[in-house]
Parts: sequence; structure tokens; C-alpha cells
Amino acid sequence: MKNSFLAKASVPLMFILICAFCIPIAGLSPSYLANEIVTRMGRNSFLILSLLIPIMAGMGLNFGMTLGAMAGEIGLILVSDWQIVGIPGMVLAAIISIPISVLLGVFCGKILNQAKGREMITSYIMSFFINGIYQLVVLYLMGSVIPIKHSSIKLPRGYGIRNTVSLLRMRQHLDNLIAIKAGGIKIPVLTFIIIGVLCVFIIWFRKTKLGQDMRAVGQDMEVARDAGINVERTRIISIVMSTVLAGIGMIIYLQNMGNIATYSSHSQIGMFCIAALLVGGASVDRASIGNVFLGVILFHTMFIVAPRAGAYITGDSMIGEYFRVFVSYAVITVALVMYETSKRKAKSAAGEQLARAQEEEENAGKEQA
Amino acid sequence: MKEKRKLIFRAGALLIVLLIAAAMMVIGRGHTVYFDNKTLEYEGQSYEAYHRVDVYVKGERVARLGKRDRGMAEAMGQKFSMTLTVTEEKGAEPESYDVSLTLPYNMDGILINVPALLNGLTADAYLSELEIVVPEEETEESQEGEGVDLMEEVAPADI
Repeated sequence: MKNSFLAKASVPLMFILICAFCIPIAGLSPSYLANEIVTRMGRNSFLILSLLIPIMAGMGLNFGMTLGAMAGEIGLILVSDWQIVGIPGMVLAAIISIPISVLLGVFCGKILNQAKGREMITSYIMSFFINGIYQLVVLYLMGSVIPIKHSSIKLPRGYGIRNTVSLLRMRQHLDNLIAIKAGGIKIPVLTFIIIGVLCVFIIWFRKTKLGQDMRAVGQDMEVARDAGINVERTRIISIVMSTVLAGIGMIIYLQNMGNIATYSSHSQIGMFCIAALLVGGASVDRASIGNVFLGVILFHTMFIVAPRAGAYITGDSMIGEYFRVFVSYAVITVALVMYETSKRKAKSAAGEQLARAQEEEENAGKEQA
Repeated sequence: MKEKRKLIFRAGALLIVLLIAAAMMVIGRGHTVYFDNKTLEYEGQSYEAYHRVDVYVKGERVARLGKRDRGMAEAMGQKFSMTLTVTEEKGAEPESYDVSLTLPYNMDGILINVPALLNGLTADAYLSELEIVVPEEETEESQEGEGVDLMEEVAPADI
């Protein structure tokens, strides 16, 4: 029991230790640190929450969330060109992103249904594939086929989008709409309300028929199929929901940042969201809302303090920069290795149990004879 | 019957989303409004620039214009209200004017000539479009056949 708890909490505990070690060395003021963490919670939580539904359906960590992020970026690029600003711009970008996300989600879900048991690597490779299509659209079709009017976002050659698109007239509009300052810490209340609504939705969704179906599919696909659940459809819906939420999450994320790194934002975000969720104590087959918030706090505390701590220890802030990137990839690798090991252990334990049962049966037969 | 009802609900939901999108496009349209305090010659008459003009939008001063100065403010939607505090001559008492304008949807940058506006001229006289031209740099990106380096950001600056 104690060992099982330690195994589950080992990653968060390790990060608590890293943070406890780095925070005093970094020398940042508590109010600055708290301010940064609160900002990053508002910025990232929605995106990370989008990962929970596929885990519930037994599809593991949805690396395909980058597809939704791309859809969100396309919405924002178009809205920037049309000069729709502020909250209406965000809403419009979300409306544009939803059909694109649904389309990509259905495509991704169908492919993942062909690769059952290998969803994570498939969705990871899939994100590269769709990234290629995204680049084709954004780099060649926008401006030539898809009308783009403003030269501030168009490449000088006349088509394609610049590496960075400014969202200055949308920047932190959501965060500042209802914001309170408490002890020098800015709390973006409206952003947290939206995140809270998503949390309530996820809790409610788990209790619905579809939510129960997803959990059943996540537990055992064959049993779920025997119970009359359309397994393939349920899995596709879970991916579509995750992709749509990731698209909206990306819009919330980018409005906080104030600009889009057109060709790299989405690929980075998938990796860091998954890493944050794992840091919060989630695993490939089990994640909760608590894991999301714990993960954001720990992972981003590490992100804030690591460069300063690295600079103090080694005299080079880039060491801290590399360290935090290294940790992000390492935590994903460790989680995947742990998942695979436990799966194999469970499989071999089941095999051993079966062999023992067969042996006992044979012995009983011999004795009877 | 059930299928028909489902279809009606779906069509209704789609319509609502489209209406929201249309509303967002109208109320969220951003404009940059530029104010010129410059003498304007219009139909043979001269409208002199003022000594000083203070422009207030939502109670906040966004520009203080001397003669031949230009200021700017960001606006969202088609209705734009501002208060102009005008000092006609040096040492004269400033006078305030509340002005409301309807901004043309298709214009990003809108240039308003303050003397023409306050002298009651038509929109043709005081309002024109200002296009900001981004200087085209001769970069590798602009050369035909050369790609854009998409992999320049390896480590994230911030997440």
C-alpha cells in the first residue's frame, strides 16, 4: 500500500524536491513567483485538461492535441487578418477552430482505431504528418488561395504567413476582463472561471452515458463491445472532444502570450502539456483534475526557477534552460517506460496465474484418475 | 420523426453559431483611428488647424495635438466616441466637444481631420482611409524558390 503510493507519487515528489532546491537558489521574490505561477495556471490549465478525456477512454496521452492547437492557430491567424480584436476575436477564432478540430479529430480517431494499443506513438507521428499539412496551408495556401490581406502577417513574397503573428490587440483581454489584485498577485478571474467550468463539465461528463461508455472502453474494449458499446465511435468522440478543447485552450494560451510563433507553438505545447500532466502524478492510464493543477504548479515552478538556479550554479543561464527542456522529455520517457513495465508485469502475472491454475487442474485430474 | 427533430436541432445550433460569429465580426472589428490637427483646404475654403487639441477616449487622454500633429487611438466596433478639448489660439480658453462617429467597416486605419470635423463638414471631407504600408525588406524569405527556416526555434523561450 505504502509502496504503491510512493510509486504513484514519485514524480511529483521528485519535482517538489527539485523546486525546494531551486527556489532559494533562484532568489526570486515570493510575490513574483506566485504571480508567474498564477499566470501560467491561467494560460496552460485549459490545454492540459483537454488531455483527460482520451485517458479516460484508454487512449493514453493524446499527442494529437497538437492538431487542435493548429486549428486554434489557424482561427487566430484568420481573425488577425480580418482585424477582429479583443474577446470577440477570441470567440470568432474558437468558432473557426471548432470545425477544423472536429475534422482533424475524426481523422485522428479513425487512424487510432486502426492502431489500438499503440495510440500514443501513432498520435505522435500523426501530429508530425498534420504539421506538414498545416505548413502547406499556412506557408503556401494562405495568401495565394486563402485570402490574406494584411502585409503585417503575410511574408514579403506575397503568400505565406510570417514566423510570428502579433496578437497585441487581443493580448490578455480575457485575463484582464475580470482581474483582481491580491497582495501584488494578478488573478485572472474570468480565465479561472472558464477553467472551472471545464472542470465541472469533465466531472459531469464522467457520469453521463457517454462518459461511462468511455470508462468502460478504457477498462476493457472487448468487455465494452460485448456490453453493446460502439467502441470505435466512443474512441473517436473522445479524441474529437480532446482536439476541440485543445483548440480552444490554444486560443486562451496565445491570447495570454500576445503572439503566435506560427510554425512552432503547437508542437511545443503538446510536449509541455503532457509533461506537466505527468509531473502532476498522472500516468498513461490514469489522470485526474488534481493532477492537472498540481502538474501546472510544479512543472511551471521548475520552469520559472530553473534558468536562474542554473545561472547561479554554473554561471550560465542556458544550462537551466536546457535542464528544463531535458526534464520535460525525461519525465515523459520515464512515464512511458513505467507504464510499459507495469503492463508487462501485469501480463506476466496473469500468465503465471493461468499456468498455475492449469497445473492445479491437471494435478486434480491425475488424482481423480 | 425523431430523426427530423434531431436534424432541426442541429440546424438550429448551427444557425446560432453562425449568428454569434456574424455578431463577433461586427462588434469585434478593430480600427485604428488617427487624428490630424492640420489645416484643410476644401471646396475653396480653408479650415485652420487649432493651437492645441486634446483627445479623450473613454475618459483617458490618448493624444495631445499641436498644429500639424497626428495622434491615434484603437477602436473596436463601428461606434466611436471621443471628447475633443480644443484651444483655438494660444492663451484662449479650451472648449470641449463630445463627438460620436460611425466608423466604416472596411477601413482598418481611419484618418480624421479634426478642424474639418469640428467645422461640421461631411464625412467625405474629414474622414479618409490611411493605409500603413509595411516596408518590404529584401530578405531570404522574399526570394523566389527559397524556403523559410521553420526550425529556428529549438528551445522554447517561454511556455
